[in-house]
Amino acid sequence: MYLSLLYRGLLLLGLTGPAAVSLAQAQEAPIKFGKLDAREAAALLAQPTPDSAAAEVLCDFGQSRIKGRQDGFELRFERTARLLIRRSEGYDHATVRVVLYHDQENGREKISQLKGFTYHLAGTQLSKEPLKTEAVFSRKLDEHHDEYAFTLPNVRAGAILEFTYLLTSPFLFNLQDWRFQQDIPVRWSEYRVAIPAFYSYKELTRTYLPFAVNETGIEPYTTSYKQSVDTGYGSSLESKNLTLSTKALTRRWVLKDAPAFRPETHMSTPRDYVSRVDFELERIQFDQNNDPQFQVGSWAQIEKQLLKHEDFGGFLGRDSPLKAAAAALAALPEPVARAKAVRQLLLGAVVYNGTPTMYASAAPRRVLELRQGNAADLNLLLIALLKQAGLEAQPLLLSTRTHGRTQTELPVLSQFNYVVAHVALPDAKELLLDATDANLPAGLLPENCLNHQGRLLGPNGRWVSLAPEANHFVYTQAKLALAPTGGLSGTIRQEYIGYAAAEHRQPVAALRQQWQKRHPDWQLDQSKLPPAAAATSAESTVALDLQARLAGAEAPVATIYLRPLQALSELSNPFRSATRIYPVDFAVAPRLEQYLELTLPPGYAASALPANVQLALPDNGGRFIFNATSSGPEKLTLVSRLQLNKTRYSAQEYEALREFYVKALAKIAEPIVLQRR
Amino acid sequence: MRLIPAFALTLLFPLTTLAAPAPALKYAVAELPAALRENAHAVERRHDELLTVKSAARTVETVLRATTILDEAGSRWASELVYYSSLNRISYFRGAVYDASGRQLRQLRTQDIRDISLSDGFSLATDARGRVADLSQPTYPYTVEFEYEVISDNPLFYSNWKPQPVEQFSVQEATFTVVMPAGLALRFQEQRLPAGTALAQSTVAGQQVYAWRVQNLTALDEEADAPPVSELTPAVYTAPSEFEVQGHAGKLNSWADLSRWTYELNANRATLPPALVAGMQALVAGETDERARIQKVYKFLQANTRYISVQLGLGGWQTFPAADVAAKGYGDCKALTNYCQALLSAAGITAHAALIKAGSDEHDIRTDFPSSQFNHVVLCVPLTQAAKADTVWLECTDQTNPFGYMGGFTGNRHALLLLPEGGRLVPTPRYGAAENRRQRHADVYLDANGNATAKLRTLRTGLEYDAVAGLAGLELSEQKKRVGNRLALGNFTLDKVAFRPLPASAPVPGLVETLALTLPGLAPPSGKRVFVTPNLLSRLAAPAPAVGERQADIWLDYAFSQLDTVQLHLPASLQPEHLPAAVQLTTPFGTYSSQLLALPNGSIRYIRRLEMPRTRFGRAEYPAYLEFRRKVSAADKAQLVLVKTDA
Repeated sequence: MYLSLLYRGLLLLGLTGPAAVSLAQAQEAPIKFGKLDAREAAALLAQPTPDSAAAEVLCDFGQSRIKGRQDGFELRFERTARLLIRRSEGYDHATVRVVLYHDQENGREKISQLKGFTYHLAGTQLSKEPLKTEAVFSRKLDEHHDEYAFTLPNVRAGAILEFTYLLTSPFLFNLQDWRFQQDIPVRWSEYRVAIPAFYSYKELTRTYLPFAVNETGIEPYTTSYKQSVDTGYGSSLESKNLTLSTKALTRRWVLKDAPAFRPETHMSTPRDYVSRVDFELERIQFDQNNDPQFQVGSWAQIEKQLLKHEDFGGFLGRDSPLKAAAAALAALPEPVARAKAVRQLLLGAVVYNGTPTMYASAAPRRVLELRQGNAADLNLLLIALLKQAGLEAQPLLLSTRTHGRTQTELPVLSQFNYVVAHVALPDAKELLLDATDANLPAGLLPENCLNHQGRLLGPNGRWVSLAPEANHFVYTQAKLALAPTGGLSGTIRQEYIGYAAAEHRQPVAALRQQWQKRHPDWQLDQSKLPPAAAATSAESTVALDLQARLAGAEAPVATIYLRPLQALSELSNPFRSATRIYPVDFAVAPRLEQYLELTLPPGYAASALPANVQLALPDNGGRFIFNATSSGPEKLTLVSRLQLNKTRYSAQEYEALREFYVKALAKIAEPIVLQRR
Repeated sequence: MRLIPAFALTLLFPLTTLAAPAPALKYAVAELPAALRENAHAVERRHDELLTVKSAARTVETVLRATTILDEAGSRWASELVYYSSLNRISYFRGAVYDASGRQLRQLRTQDIRDISLSDGFSLATDARGRVADLSQPTYPYTVEFEYEVISDNPLFYSNWKPQPVEQFSVQEATFTVVMPAGLALRFQEQRLPAGTALAQSTVAGQQVYAWRVQNLTALDEEADAPPVSELTPAVYTAPSEFEVQGHAGKLNSWADLSRWTYELNANRATLPPALVAGMQALVAGETDERARIQKVYKFLQANTRYISVQLGLGGWQTFPAADVAAKGYGDCKALTNYCQALLSAAGITAHAALIKAGSDEHDIRTDFPSSQFNHVVLCVPLTQAAKADTVWLECTDQTNPFGYMGGFTGNRHALLLLPEGGRLVPTPRYGAAENRRQRHADVYLDANGNATAKLRTLRTGLEYDAVAGLAGLELSEQKKRVGNRLALGNFTLDKVAFRPLPASAPVPGLVETLALTLPGLAPPSGKRVFVTPNLLSRLAAPAPAVGERQADIWLDYAFSQLDTVQLHLPASLQPEHLPAAVQLTTPFGTYSSQLLALPNGSIRYIRRLEMPRTRFGRAEYPAYLEFRRKVSAADKAQLVLVKTDA
């Protein structure tokens, strides 16, 4: 679109015609493809592999450059890697998959100059077998993506593999990103980019490991390109070779000795933790004295662009068959109740098809006809209906947890993959609404949306916190009678509140079955199930009432040892590993409470009750309370409460967090000793 | 709501030429018998499957299904996936969705159907693809209707009709029709057809027509330790008597027929480079023991090849030449088996490929119904010098599989030998309770505060080994993580993990795992007492009690044995108050014993044995079985009370 502007810019820069290519004072490459010799191979094989891994990356080296081509520029990304395979468990790493993008307007990414070698050292002899092209397969993944897969020949334990390829791409907005870590250890990972002055990218680096090199430089830049010459007859049949010189910004990163990246529990998405660098195109400007050919927009500009987009603004602007029904809801005076009613109206009409996106897939009328849609179909429709009901509603863009964290420094649209509705309420209050999950009450976003902050569009555009409005609360209340055999029987009421309610909004039979699976020692009363509750409102908590028995000894015993809270427990330590490299990220903070009234058999009394405790995490990070009290003759009341007050804990806080669970579990497991008088 | 009578429709139709004709109401939920809604998440209203065999080389499968989805758990039935590949193409795929009253909400449009690559996740290349359509609705109940037709040039497979494939799914009506051309016979096998269901056979225009129909099958509930649902519900399996795949014709009236065809398709692909032939001869030169010769060749195979799956067209059936594997060092199961057979042949050893249905959850094939039921191939090496008939089985796609071991992936089932004269079914090695053994010794050191450290040494053999076989090859940090995630302990820190395989000479493969653990609060004190459950890690929970009357047989398909010894080392300040009594249970369902001994050195020894057979009982035995499992569960949790002598 901006091509004509681009040429004007080039002309202004001054074209020098064919000229000597200026050689940049480049750092030597960390690896030269195909140049491994026997001595070096022997040295590589002699060094032990970190963590006794089955394979390791010895060197992974990528370079991105921008070069001229016919009527424009292209990205050239070269990658050269060397791997060492120790054991058969690492053979999978001999197969490489590259995903290439293409679209109608701009063409396709292409892979070329693919070469590979498998080296084997036998004594002092190094054998070298090339990758053959028949070992390269391509297949279509979807509309815009193809996968190229190749595998190296004769891979055995002790093989050293090398491969190299060049990826050329017309998609200049997508400067190739780089991952420094893999699921095997990486000894040396290096990425270099050289960006000519007329391009400018915002760099987004993320790492929990220190870079060994993180350098910036300037080098002379020269590229030649071909420009079509208008022959004056409407068709451009001739090309002119031109050369362009300027300066280029160079960047170089090296990460050394990176351990294998293996996901840990309670992570948002591995993308957020693995060491990497991403880029966003900020500006294209060929002439400092003129306007840039491309400039990343302000939020206002992004919004303008989005509102023009057929599948965003275009969709929002279109009427839907629900318009009249939504407008009728304007009669509800209370704005929160009205917003909830609008969401309910939509929930009854359309179901989510599981695709998180911020662009609609069809017109509103069609979505309602299909009665299903993606996240944007539903939530953009929700925004339109809220407006039609007279509410102040705006789109709020966000990135789901599985999509990765957002940055707030640069206005970038591509970091988002999801849209929800924001409703401004009186007294500067606000309400976030989503229509993809009917099990969640209005105001609670799906867990996958709880990812730091989202960007509100509209006149009051700003970042809005996505902190959860509720926690994941499981409450157990039991009234149990103890038999002289040590057996327990009585009623158990299990309540699921907040995010736990959405998770457990299921038929009673299914809930019973799940409870029984978690507590296999209890026998549930087989009495007729209550009739399947009429579809409970998503606003309510979910409750499960049980009549249950826990067997004791065959005959009465004089001393009873009892761990009733443990027997009813829903608690386990989510943190089994003693150490952790990356922070802990709960989408929603957990809360578990137990309240038990225990009736003792006549003549028995507690000879020892576990001591009451209170535990607290530093900085009000969480609390655990345990109380055992004698609440009357032959009556005991036991209470435990565990609650975390944050959703994120740094790796430094991990040990305390794990210990907190360890102590809470130990306390719940302490026995009560009862003796017959 | 009731269906509009048909005549009303025919009257209405000509009058409404301007407006769209009102479509007939279909599948109204009100018409559904209550018994079919019970326990069901979805009801098959109608399922008509038609297999038209055009010739030995072509079949056409036509399916119409209408499913009422009653609740969210049934919504998997709202979508349909139709497979295709270079040998199977879809001629049409249609669908529609109806509301509870039976009013059509919409029809499926071409742009609503997605085309996807069915990558299995491990193939380097595969031509398997699928078309998917999803008709999910926001409110329940509703009914989806799908119709599709697939033309197949791979008539090695005929349709298998399984109208009720899962639990909590009922069937109002289902039919299966097979149309055979003149001169071609249908082979079929019926399973569990309800009483009164009979095959209707007729001849229409010279074609043989076979038809089955079932009605009103109520939903099954999932029961513990029951046979798989596929065995409990009606089915009709069919197979060709003659077929042709891409010019390769074959007969299929016996296992020998299938064996011969597969053999011929893969014959003459075993030529190796002369240097490799010489290499194999040199490798076994001087080795007189037959088993050792085979083992040397197998070791060579494992060290020099790897599994890479390429499944394109006939390549799904035919192996790559052995010379290809020799050059590249990789291949799929057919190619690697063919290659290993060629290597053995070069070493003067005769081996036969054998088709098998592999998978750890797969049950044996239907041995009395010769048909293509296989998905994998292994190598069978008959020993010629053994005193009694003996066989070595080789899995050729795994670089770490112990020599001669079939395991849970291919053991305990039948395989079809591929022979030029037509082979037969042979059983692969069986692994019973003695082979599938877990033997653990734990030393637990308890301190006066109830904290402990422990050293554990666990030997797992046979199918017990299968579950941990992969751990030994992982990097150390990952080993620790995986082992930690498997330990049935509330509070622990894993200090050390190590693995050591049993020597290759062991009769069944095994792996010894050594762990060091810190166990804070293992024995929580209460007053002057301390409580500990000596059965540290081997607690077997009782199966969940059945809801209502037991329906299915008791099916214990996995035989295993466990022996646990826990040596509890106590501080001087703790003494046992009383030791739980020994337990001994001997039943047809299994045998169990546990006992505690106070040793003269002040420590306590706990010994537990459990042996479970592979067996099957009628449903009337279920209460007795449950009783046994409850007693085991109770004994496993027995608690030891220690008193503080210094308190």
